[in-house]
Amino acid sequence: MINTMTKKLLTSALILGMLVLYSIPAKSQDLDSLLEKEAIPQTTYATATFKSTRIVNGHSVERMKKKQLEFRVSHRFGQVNDGSYNLWGLDQGTIHLALEYGLTDWLEVGIGRSTYEKTFDGFGKVSLLRQSNGAKNMPIQLSYLLSTELISFKSNPEKYKDVYSRMSFVNQILIARKFNESFSAQLTPTFIHRNLVPTELDKNDLFAMGAGARYKLSKRIAFNVEYYYVYRANSSSLPVKYYNPLSVGIDIETGGHVFQIMLTNSQAMREGGFIGKTTGSWSDAGIRLGFNISRVFSFNK
Amino acid sequence: MNKLILLFAFVLTFGIAGAQSRFLTKDAKINFNSSTPLEDIIAESNQATTFIDIEKNEIAFSVLTTSFKFRRALMEEHFNENYMESAKFPKAKFTGKIVTPIDWKSEKMVVAEIKGQLTMHGATKDMTIKAQITPGKNKIIATSELKVTPEDFKIAIPSAVRDKIAKEVTIKIEAAYAPYQQ
Repeated sequence: MINTMTKKLLTSALILGMLVLYSIPAKSQDLDSLLEKEAIPQTTYATATFKSTRIVNGHSVERMKKKQLEFRVSHRFGQVNDGSYNLWGLDQGTIHLALEYGLTDWLEVGIGRSTYEKTFDGFGKVSLLRQSNGAKNMPIQLSYLLSTELISFKSNPEKYKDVYSRMSFVNQILIARKFNESFSAQLTPTFIHRNLVPTELDKNDLFAMGAGARYKLSKRIAFNVEYYYVYRANSSSLPVKYYNPLSVGIDIETGGHVFQIMLTNSQAMREGGFIGKTTGSWSDAGIRLGFNISRVFSFNK
Repeated sequence: MNKLILLFAFVLTFGIAGAQSRFLTKDAKINFNSSTPLEDIIAESNQATTFIDIEKNEIAFSVLTTSFKFRRALMEEHFNENYMESAKFPKAKFTGKIVTPIDWKSEKMVVAEIKGQLTMHGATKDMTIKAQITPGKNKIIATSELKVTPEDFKIAIPSAVRDKIAKEVTIKIEAAYAPYQQ
């Protein structure tokens, strides 16, 4: 009796097992749909949110990747409202040279030198969040920039004889999103500390909010705009009238080079200068034509 | 009677479980070379997913174009942004039929002809490729080399860089398949 029961149970179990095996739908699936099923869930990271490591003057979230070296030459002509005698600014020029290197995919360091106030600068830019979708979702990219600038121009040796008095420090949080293939935008809260400022009225600490965007006109050409709102409570009482930097530019990419051509009211090409000391005004054509040239070298074997 | 059913069930069960007809790998290697004397353009992905069905003699490949790694980061960016348009067309795919008869039990290397379609950058092209296939009970190894022309897949190359990119891109594939467990 028990024996028959066991047998019956065993039989049913086997038939059930058989049915289960038969009912596995994979047997009738074609390889194409199997491929879809078996594909490892991937995370796609947004790349090329901006074409260059600068939107126009200010940093973008882009960095040099590991073992990639960028040589940047930036140039700003004189102010357009200088008139015909200076060929609308083309007779003058301010230059910035920089070498920038990716230590890892998430850390870039750079050094530079500008003819503007004979400034040396060095910076580090760390990527903290990467925009991604797929297995991991992250709506934004977030980077932190720390930059130090040292003015070596001998204007007032007594006051500026101490090296520390000629230093300033730039902190920026870069928050960007690539909305689609064409449009990207960035917000850049900025805090600048200057060890010594020209007058008592100038503040040592400066807060600013930057905003930038790019729109791709074609695969290799993009339009950029960049603006920094600089918070100056006492701007009317300052001996020098400062303006908020506004720049528009075009990126042209040709293989290993990126050319950036721009119109800007800033002369300086580093944050301490163009955020802190922009004296040109768009309203009276106090703007400059300029360009950045970037060439990338790879040290990857 | 019961014994008969039992036997029948056993045979069927083993019959199905034993007929391992599909082989899979998720880390097949694909590299391509479109170097010219002016520029070295080499990239590799080791994340291709591929199936072989030895009953139907079918083969299928799929790889994310963003998984290709280049030595130069900028080149990788341009590959995805400007040429493959990876955001729009994330995958490259090949599906085909092995037309050369293969004795899958032999464990001898066969040079097989595969007829199929290659799809990338949103364009599909009929292709016949040659592959070296080594069958095995628990492992199948396949390697192949093929040439493709970017223009066949509507990949536009600007005249300014036309001389830097080879007219024909050589693609090499290496896959070691294991029996597919569902």
